[in-house]
Amino acid sequence: MSVYAVNKVCRRLVHEPELRAALAASPQSAEAALRAAHPPLSEDEVRQLLAGDVGALSQAGCNHFLMSQLGRFELFGLDLREEAARVRAAHR
Amino acid sequence: MRAPGRRGEGSSVGPRCLAVGCKNCYSLCINGSDHIVGGFGVPHTPHYPAMVASGAPDAQEISALYGQVSRRLRATAPDVIVFYTADHYNVFFEECIPIFSVGVADSAVGASDYDTVPRRELPIDSELARGLQRHLVRAGFDVGMSQEFAFDHTIVAPMHFLSRETDIPLVPIFVNALIPPLPSAQRCRALGEAVRDGLAQLAGPRRVAVVTSGSFSFEVGGLRTTEGSHVGVPDPAWMDRVLDLLAAGDLDTLVAESTEEQLAAAGNAGGENLLWIAMLATIGGGAPDWLEAQRRFGHGYGAWVDAA
Repeated sequence: MSVYAVNKVCRRLVHEPELRAALAASPQSAEAALRAAHPPLSEDEVRQLLAGDVGALSQAGCNHFLMSQLGRFELFGLDLREEAARVRAAHR
Repeated sequence: MRAPGRRGEGSSVGPRCLAVGCKNCYSLCINGSDHIVGGFGVPHTPHYPAMVASGAPDAQEISALYGQVSRRLRATAPDVIVFYTADHYNVFFEECIPIFSVGVADSAVGASDYDTVPRRELPIDSELARGLQRHLVRAGFDVGMSQEFAFDHTIVAPMHFLSRETDIPLVPIFVNALIPPLPSAQRCRALGEAVRDGLAQLAGPRRVAVVTSGSFSFEVGGLRTTEGSHVGVPDPAWMDRVLDLLAAGDLDTLVAESTEEQLAAAGNAGGENLLWIAMLATIGGGAPDWLEAQRRFGHGYGAWVDAA
């Protein structure tokens, strides 16, 4: 679990509309885009991102502010409220 | 209104500029500074410009609060604004984070991160910015120099409300208030004092306003968000404490109590309190002329202007 790689993908969402489009287009497109990320995401990180499992990513230490961008751009079944709800639930 | 302080007899404020022989400004200097005409603090919520434009339920309140600050800022007729900002992972990211940096480009566009903030190009007083950066390094601060960047919402959203029609040149000073380890409150105060010293040497005839944006207690997307929301105010008691200390003009206690642990408890944006400390140190402290809170959002709006 690199954490930094996840944070970087989340940060890139804000500035790279083509990445947002790739992640939103289809599960296949999303997985390909995540596997092309640099530095590389771990297998767990790819799986957790595709599943919108921000709770697990939170427990691993990923940045909450940056992960909220996943909700902002409604990726992986998340929206802003759902992203925060999953993070809260993971720490109860 | 939250028991606003007022400069005057009995305060710890220094002599008025006329009393110390100011030759550059005659009615709006504060704390004995020849050049600094006021300090201002506001929030930077990126959704506010769109909310106001669309007449959202909070629009009137948001407009009124920013309007109170904007009116006071305009009254000081600044030639330049020193703006303390906490870049939100946009100019700087985890691959390389300066604790402090001064933006020295000729201008920058923004907001780079939200299209809810009307895009504009804001001029930068590059000469003063470069001079301040050199001054700070010589004064012992390892301050970066940013020559190419875009502004994010932390500057452009406030400027949308504070100076929509007039492009007042900025000197942006980036403070790492989000990505731990943060600078200490003592260090941010010292930075503000060094900027004040630098302005005394470098500002010339410029009238300088000092502005910052940030919250006192705020969490985005994390554990301490409010049920049903993606944001929260994790430590409202701390927010009230900050407001009380600001109203009293008690910068010493604010600095002492803004510990690493306290700022972390205030939320993942709790470090933005450091920006207010730097702003206050730059203007020489003192009680505000006007201060009001938006408690449900962890926000404060304040103006420190010693108008004649």
